[in-house]
Amino acid sequence: MSERVRLPPSLSALPKHPVRWMPALAAGLSLQQYASFLLRRLAGLAAVLMIAIWVLEGEGYFWPAWVWLGLSVPVTLDLMGRWAWRHERGASRRVALMWAVIMVGCGILVVTWILTWLLDGVREFWPAWGLLGLGTAGSAYSLIALHDRLLVARGRRALKERIDTLTRTRREAVDAQAAQLLRIERDLHDGAQARLVALTLKLGRAALRLEDRPEVKALINEAQREAASAISELRDLARGIVPPLLADRGLVPAVEALSSRYGTGTAIEVDIPFEVSPAAKGAAYFVIAEALTNAVKHSGAKHTAVRMCGERGCLKVVISDDGCGGADPLGSGLAGLRARVEALDGTLSIESPVGLGTEVSMTLPCAGERERRGAAERLAVGRHAVGIGR
Amino acid sequence: MRVVIAEDLALLREGLVALLRENDIDVVAQAQDAEGLLRAISGHKPDLAIVDVRLPPTFSDEGLRAAIEARRACPHLGVLVLSQYVETAYASELIGGNSAGIGYLLKERIGDVRAFLQAVESVAAGGTVLDREVVTQMLDSDRGRRDALSALTSREREVLELMAEGRSNAAIAESLVVTQGAVEKHITSIYSKLDLPACEVDHRRVLAVLTYLRLADG
Repeated sequence: MSERVRLPPSLSALPKHPVRWMPALAAGLSLQQYASFLLRRLAGLAAVLMIAIWVLEGEGYFWPAWVWLGLSVPVTLDLMGRWAWRHERGASRRVALMWAVIMVGCGILVVTWILTWLLDGVREFWPAWGLLGLGTAGSAYSLIALHDRLLVARGRRALKERIDTLTRTRREAVDAQAAQLLRIERDLHDGAQARLVALTLKLGRAALRLEDRPEVKALINEAQREAASAISELRDLARGIVPPLLADRGLVPAVEALSSRYGTGTAIEVDIPFEVSPAAKGAAYFVIAEALTNAVKHSGAKHTAVRMCGERGCLKVVISDDGCGGADPLGSGLAGLRARVEALDGTLSIESPVGLGTEVSMTLPCAGERERRGAAERLAVGRHAVGIGR
Repeated sequence: MRVVIAEDLALLREGLVALLRENDIDVVAQAQDAEGLLRAISGHKPDLAIVDVRLPPTFSDEGLRAAIEARRACPHLGVLVLSQYVETAYASELIGGNSAGIGYLLKERIGDVRAFLQAVESVAAGGTVLDREVVTQMLDSDRGRRDALSALTSREREVLELMAEGRSNAAIAESLVVTQGAVEKHITSIYSKLDLPACEVDHRRVLAVLTYLRLADG
């Protein structure tokens, strides 16, 4: 608590003579620092002087103790005051000053009691009520002065809790949505699409028996064609939700199939030491698909590369090409995928200097995958299992 | 012909069984999952297995994996895989090193009953039938291959897609409403443009289709 006045190094080289106190002021100590310095020197000097007088008087009742107590009050007040002053201006400094005064007061009470006990033989601890009173007053003042601050702290805590809750529920919502999409995709395949296939099969069998009635057969064939285009539309819809290879085999085979579809020499590099949630897999897949499509269709790239790695609980995906660059980050289809990535607390950035190719980078936090996976699986109701795995 | 069917949706399974039986094909066993399929194949020794890609319990690609396993156990078994979608990667896996007796069709092709029955016969007899969608995906995929194949006319491309489905020249001619002679001319042209060696005709037919598959893998 006490703060030594540190003299600048140049001062220690000065001759040990009272006059050096004045150059100390000149050497850059503030007036306040110089005053404390002087105060302690004088108090020390006075304390020694008292002993001398007491000895000269004939060593009776040890009264210098009371003088020391008196001298120590301004010194302690100075020290405590400077401690309090270091607090932030405002309520906390006021409270610290208050406590400095209270501590000094308590100190005086206790030391006075010790002296009366040692010198006068007073036994009972009379400062108790005074200490209690000072403590209570200080606490009450602190509470009133810091009330606002406590409220702010409580508000901050409530805000943090709210953010935690929102983050968690959003993550659960995104996972639930991914599981639901997967279920919808399966339902389209096994429900509507399968029924339509069964329908075309029945129509086909009927047509076989109507070889002798070409006008009816033509009608049936037309119905079959319509059913076929409905099946095809459902297939495209399902593929847009979750590409089958992604649902069946996971991210890496799906990206490999993508690259072979685009036929540029795509170098794929994978190092993901953890399992990726369906939501993150979907986002990563569609970002890669969009980036590769742009590379092949618009930038005239000869080579593309996809790097997927898991780093510090994050899935990092970088898609780069050697095309013409100059892609508009807001104009490409990637802008639409940004919302999807951001919903997962991820980031998506596009760098596309003219003539230097394009690099799309995406980072998705995947920490705590295990707990989240449990939640996602519970949400995948019915007979459908959730395809996880890489 | 003895056939085993693995399809988990009863509606479709029953429709398939009815269609095959109406056309004098002997359906010896029906399975609802991959395990049942493998049991039925080892128990009945059929000529052909018709398999849905997605089967219980995970509804991902069990059917495909079971089909590949069954082929490994008995290489002469014909396998016709049906799916709601086609993936060239699946086609390549299914064929592995041996394209004989392999079929991979979209489910809705069942609706064209005659073509489907023809595909069934063809696969059981050791032929190769690939959905035209597979061929389209491959044609669209590789730029280098597109360059190599840009010499094909759109009509030749249509003929190639129908060849991939295992159709005979006569069936192709009927489908495209041209004469059989015209189809033969197109096919000769395809062979020469794809630089396929002149050898046994049926073999070359399959090679024409597999050229795409190999290029997709490479």
